[in-house]
Amino acid sequence: MVRESVFRGIGIYIRNVFLGVWSIAGSCFTAVPYLFRLGELRKEVTEGYPDPVSSKTADDLPPRSRGLLFNDIDRCSGCRDCEKICPAQCIKIDCEPGSEASKVWVSVFDIDFSKCVFCGLCTEVCLPSSLVHTRQYEGAAYSLKDLVASFGRGQLTPEQRAKWAAMRKLSEDGEGVSL
Amino acid sequence: MMTASNSWMVSWWEGFGLSSDVPQWVFALLALLFTYCFVVVPAGAALSFLDRKFSADLQARVGPNQAGPAGLFQPIADLLKLLQKGSLTKRPQKASENIWLSVHSMALYSTLAVMPLGSAALLVDTEMSAFLPFWSALVLALGTMLLGLGQNSVPGWFGGIRIAAQTLAGSFPALIALICVGVHAGSFRWSALAGAQGFSPWSWALFSNPFLTIAFLVFIMSGMIVMASAPFDGGLALTDIHGGVASHLYGRRLGYYRFGRFYVFFLWSVITVVLFLGGWALPGRLVSLLREGEAVRVLSFLELSWLMAKTFLLMLFMIWVARVNPRSRVDQITDFAWKVLSPFSLFALVGTSLWVGWGIGWGAPW
Amino acid sequence: MIGSGLNSQTFFKTDLTTWEIGPYHSSLPGPMRLKLKLDGEIVVKCEVETGFLHRGLEKASELHGWPSLVVYADHLDPEVAVFGELVTCLAVEEISGITAPPRAQVIRLLLAELARISGHLAFMVRMAKAVGSETVTHYVLRDREKILDLFELVTGARFSLNFLRFGGVRSDVTDGFIERVLEVCELIRVRMKEYNDIFTFNYSFLQRSSGVAPISKDCVRFCGMSGPNARAAGVAFDVRKDAPYLGYSNLDFIAPLGRGEGGVLGDVHDRFLIRLREINESMEILKQVVERIPDGPFLHAPVGNDYKVPAGEAYVRIESSRGLLGCHVVSDGKLKPGRVQYRVPSLANLMAVPLITPGVRVEDLPVVLASLDLGIAEADR
Repeated sequence: MVRESVFRGIGIYIRNVFLGVWSIAGSCFTAVPYLFRLGELRKEVTEGYPDPVSSKTADDLPPRSRGLLFNDIDRCSGCRDCEKICPAQCIKIDCEPGSEASKVWVSVFDIDFSKCVFCGLCTEVCLPSSLVHTRQYEGAAYSLKDLVASFGRGQLTPEQRAKWAAMRKLSEDGEGVSL
Repeated sequence: MMTASNSWMVSWWEGFGLSSDVPQWVFALLALLFTYCFVVVPAGAALSFLDRKFSADLQARVGPNQAGPAGLFQPIADLLKLLQKGSLTKRPQKASENIWLSVHSMALYSTLAVMPLGSAALLVDTEMSAFLPFWSALVLALGTMLLGLGQNSVPGWFGGIRIAAQTLAGSFPALIALICVGVHAGSFRWSALAGAQGFSPWSWALFSNPFLTIAFLVFIMSGMIVMASAPFDGGLALTDIHGGVASHLYGRRLGYYRFGRFYVFFLWSVITVVLFLGGWALPGRLVSLLREGEAVRVLSFLELSWLMAKTFLLMLFMIWVARVNPRSRVDQITDFAWKVLSPFSLFALVGTSLWVGWGIGWGAPW
Repeated sequence: MIGSGLNSQTFFKTDLTTWEIGPYHSSLPGPMRLKLKLDGEIVVKCEVETGFLHRGLEKASELHGWPSLVVYADHLDPEVAVFGELVTCLAVEEISGITAPPRAQVIRLLLAELARISGHLAFMVRMAKAVGSETVTHYVLRDREKILDLFELVTGARFSLNFLRFGGVRSDVTDGFIERVLEVCELIRVRMKEYNDIFTFNYSFLQRSSGVAPISKDCVRFCGMSGPNARAAGVAFDVRKDAPYLGYSNLDFIAPLGRGEGGVLGDVHDRFLIRLREINESMEILKQVVERIPDGPFLHAPVGNDYKVPAGEAYVRIESSRGLLGCHVVSDGKLKPGRVQYRVPSLANLMAVPLITPGVRVEDLPVVLASLDLGIAEADR
C-alpha cells in the first residue's frame, strides 16, 4: 500500500473544511432573500383558512373543480345510471311511478359523502344533467349521518300512490287528466 | 457566596435599593428571582415567538398570526396549552424520571447566579466564572442522557447515547476556545473579559486578532454541538428515532424539558456575546455620564438591553443556520468536533498566546 | 501487545439489539414494518413486512363495471395517479383494438410528464425531510402545488384525477392550459437552481448521502428493480426509450444514468441527482410537446354504463415516476373486467431494502428509504 503524502492529506483536509464552510454559508445566503420578501417569486404562499381577505373561496376554484354533488330533483329522471356507475356505491335511489306514465317520482336520492370519491362518473352519465358537481368544498360534519345529502322528494303515502295509479290508468285509457 | 461580604454584591444592593443590613442570602435570592422572572422567562417567550416568525419568513410561510396581533401572544397560548395537558402527579412516577427532573432543575437554576448580565449585575464574579456555565450545559446534557436511557426503549437509548457522545466531543473545543479569550483578556472574570472589549466592533474580542475569530467560530459551532441544537441534533432527530429522548414527554414535563433546551441555548448565547461580541459595553461617554449621575439602575438597564439585543441577534443567526441546513449524523458530528473543531481551537490557542505574548495589536483603524 | 490477535470487532463484541419500526413511523414512506437487528447503531439485518395498506384494489376492480376501473386505477398510487390511469387505459385499448386520437395522446403525455415532475418534487420533499432540512421541504412543496393547480385546472381534481378514458380523455384541455404549463416549467427551472444552491450542493447533505447504501447492478437484476433507482445504478432501462408508447419515440430526450458523483455508483446521492435530472428532461419533453399539440377529437367514444370490452387480454407497461408499471387486463366480454393485475415498481424497490441496508447506520435508514422513492400504496395495493 502506497502511503499518501502528509501534505496531500493536509491539503485535502483544508479543502474539505473550506468546502464545508463555503457551501453551508451559500445555503444560508440563498434563503436570505426570502427573509426580506425580495421579488415576486419569494412571497409567502400560505393563506389563513377562514381569512375573508386572502383565502380562496369556491369562486376562485377552476370551473371544472369537482366539489360536493348537487342534484336538481326537478330535472332528475330517476334513471339510476349514476347509481350503477358509482364505484364507491354511495348513491342510493328509490323511485316510484309518478302521476303520469312518463314521470318518475324520485322518493329517495341520497348521496353518502363519507363514501364518495368525487370521481365525477355520475355527472358524466347523467342524461338530463341534473346531477352536477358544485364548487363547494366545505363538507365537514360531526357525524357520518350528517354527511348524507338527501335530494329525494320523500316517500309517497299509500293514498297518494293509489290516486296516482288511478290517474296513470286514466291517461293510459286516453283521457287527459289535469291536476 | 452567602458568607463572605463580597465586593461584587455591592452593586446589587444599590440596584435593588436595599440597605446592607439585610442578610446576604436575601440578596442572593432576590437576585436569582429577578434574573429568572425578568430576564430568562421573558427571553424564552420572546425567542419562541421570534423563532417561529423568523423561520416562517425564511420558509415563505406566514407563521403564527392568530393569537393576538401578528400572533404575538403565541408563547402564552403555548404555555397555557402545555400546562393544561397532563399533570406531574397523577401518573405513576418512574424513578428515572425523578432523577431526570432533579438533574434538569439543577441545570436550570444553578447557573442563574453565574449569568453575566451587566457590569452591575454580576452576582458571582470569580477567577473561574467563565467556566461555570459549562456546568449547566454539561449537567443538562447528563439529564437529557438519563432521560433517554430511562425511557427503556431503543430510540431513547440511542438518543441518550448520542447526546452524551456529542456533548463530550463538543466540550473540548469549546473549552479551548474559551481559554483563548481568557488568554486575550488576562483573566476569566466576567468583569475582566467584558472589560477587555469596548462598544465599537473593532474592540470586540472577535476582531481583535485573527485567531480569536477562529476561536469564535469554533465556540459557536461546538456550542451548537454541546447544546444539541439543530442541525447537530442527532440525539433528538424526529425522523429515525422520532424525537429520541423526549418522545414520551408531554404536557408540563415537555414544557419543562423545552424550557431547559431554551435555557442552555440562551445561556450559551449570552456568554458568547460576553466573551467575543463586546458584552454589555456601551459607549464610554454614556457610561461615565451615567456613573457621574449615579444612575446605576439606568445604566444596568441599558447594559442589559444592549446585551440582550446582541444575544437575540446571535440566537437568530444560529436559528438561521439550523433551519436551512440538513441534520448531520452523530458520527459526523463527533468527527467534526474532534477532527476539525479541536485542531482549529488548539491552533487558535497557540496563535492567540503568541499574539498576546508578542504584544501585537491591530491598533484602531482610525 | 495485548490486543495483537484481537481486533476491536471481536474485543468489544456486544449483543445485537432488536428493534421493530412501524407500521406507523415518521421515517417510513408509508405503513410498513422494518424488523431490525442492530449492532450498536449499525444495521446488521433488516427485514421488511408490508401489506398494511392492502385495499384489495385488483379484486375491487373486478367487482365494478369498466368505467369504474379508471377510478380504481387512480388509487393505485394516489400520489402520481396519472400513471395508474394511463397504464390501465392503454391495456384496455389494446384489448379493444382502439387507439386514442392524437390530441388525446398528447394531453395524456402532458399529464404524465407533469405527474413525473410532481412525483419527483415530492421525492425531494421526502428526502429533505429525512435529512431534516425544513426549509427546502417548504420551498419544494410550494412549487409542487403549482403542478397540482394545473391538474385541478384541466381535470377538476388535484390527486384523484379520473381524467383518462378508454380511447381518449374525458374533456379537452381548458384555455390557457398550455401557456400555464410553460409558465410552470420556467418557474421550476428557476427554482431548481435555488434548490441546488440550498440543498443539493450543501456539504452536510453530500456527507449524508454520498456512498450510503449503494445499489449494485446485481441487486437491480435480482430484485427486478426499474426506474430511476435502476438507472442510478447504471442499468440503462427506460420503457419510454426501450418500448415507446404515447409517441415518446418522436421526442428528443435522454434517460439520465447514475454517474457515481458521490464516490460509489448507485448510492443515495446518485439516486437523488438522477431525479433532479429527470425533472429537467421532463420539462424538455413538455416544451417539445406543447409546440406540436394537434387539433382534433379528444375521445373515441363516450364510456357509459353499458361499456363492454371484447374478450381478450393485454399486458402493457409504462414508465411511471417510480419505475416500470405494468398492467395486465383480462376481459371476458362482459360488463365487468375479468381480471386486473398490476406490476408495480415499488414492490421491487422495496425488496432491495433488506439487501442494501446492512452496514447502514440507523440515522441513515430514513434517508435510504426516502431515496428509494417507495410508494407503499402501490406496493400493497
